[in-house]
Amino acid sequence: MGPRNFVIAFAAGIALAAGIFLALKQSAPQQLRSAFVLPAPEVLPDFALLDQAGEAFTPDSLSGQWDVVFFGFTSCPDICPVTLQKLTLARRQMQEAGIGELPRIVLVSVDPEHDTPDIIGKYVNYFGDGNVGVTGTLEETRKLAKSLYVYFEKVALEDGGYTVDHSPAVLVIDPDGRYHSGFGSSMTAEDYAYDLSILMGVY
Amino acid sequence: MRAAMAAIALLVAACSGESAAPFVVANIEVTEPMPGRGMSAGYMTLTNNTGSQITVTDVRSAEYNNVEIHRSTVEDGVARMRRVDKLEIPAGSTITLERGGLHLMLMQAEGNPDAVSLSFYDGEMLLMNVVANIVRRAD
Repeated sequence: MGPRNFVIAFAAGIALAAGIFLALKQSAPQQLRSAFVLPAPEVLPDFALLDQAGEAFTPDSLSGQWDVVFFGFTSCPDICPVTLQKLTLARRQMQEAGIGELPRIVLVSVDPEHDTPDIIGKYVNYFGDGNVGVTGTLEETRKLAKSLYVYFEKVALEDGGYTVDHSPAVLVIDPDGRYHSGFGSSMTAEDYAYDLSILMGVY
Repeated sequence: MRAAMAAIALLVAACSGESAAPFVVANIEVTEPMPGRGMSAGYMTLTNNTGSQITVTDVRSAEYNNVEIHRSTVEDGVARMRRVDKLEIPAGSTITLERGGLHLMLMQAEGNPDAVSLSFYDGEMLLMNVVANIVRRAD
């Protein structure tokens, strides 16, 4: 290789390294893997529900911290616990990464007829003491679900039992109590942790 | 008669301790009963090493009052869970019961058992008994 070719190759090498460095610096750490973000955060309408202690759970209850909200029910043995487990793991991974502010996990019952505050509380606190279980009347649950674009519907089964079809989305509420962002379907714990860190601005 | 022969064949093979048993239930993971309703989920692989289809119509457990075969699906942004009548394992195949898909729903645990026994039936014909430890939540 002549001196001139060497210079060109060297310059190309520098340019490539600089390009990779800039690409990583500018886009990669801020690139969400799977979360969606609302164009503008949406204020939640009034709703009056109950937490696991039987205390009032209103829009104000979602202010003051980042919340990840999932709609499920305690007769659900697969998708609901799997999602709560992943969110719990995501929180732990964020904690281990040195992030001080962690999102709170909130489970809203789509089977309020059967899920009393006590039952939903036991279920959600299985995954962590700081979690919140929410239930109440069907009408008030619908208000919150509708504002988060969450679908749920009780379905009668042929054998006389029932199940509840529901949106598996995880919704993110910002510290001002506004609907900020979310995840459309189930992700890995790593993806939840990664995206939540970006969404919460702590990356 | 055919069913009885099949049962004997399965039993003989199962007792012989050979590695290629005709029907193998493995990788069993039954979750701890969830507080609130005492409900668990069961995940595993079912392998049919025979030359004909194996059908599982019922699963019973001494530790739970009721066990059903369910399938979770997520389609068009809606998560659903429905009962499945039976599991059909084609000859020489393995099916997987896994999170977010086919699984056992174990209802009304008797207390908080450490282990779970599972009996797989085709109608009244017992195919297999297995015992597995219950998986506790990792802290």
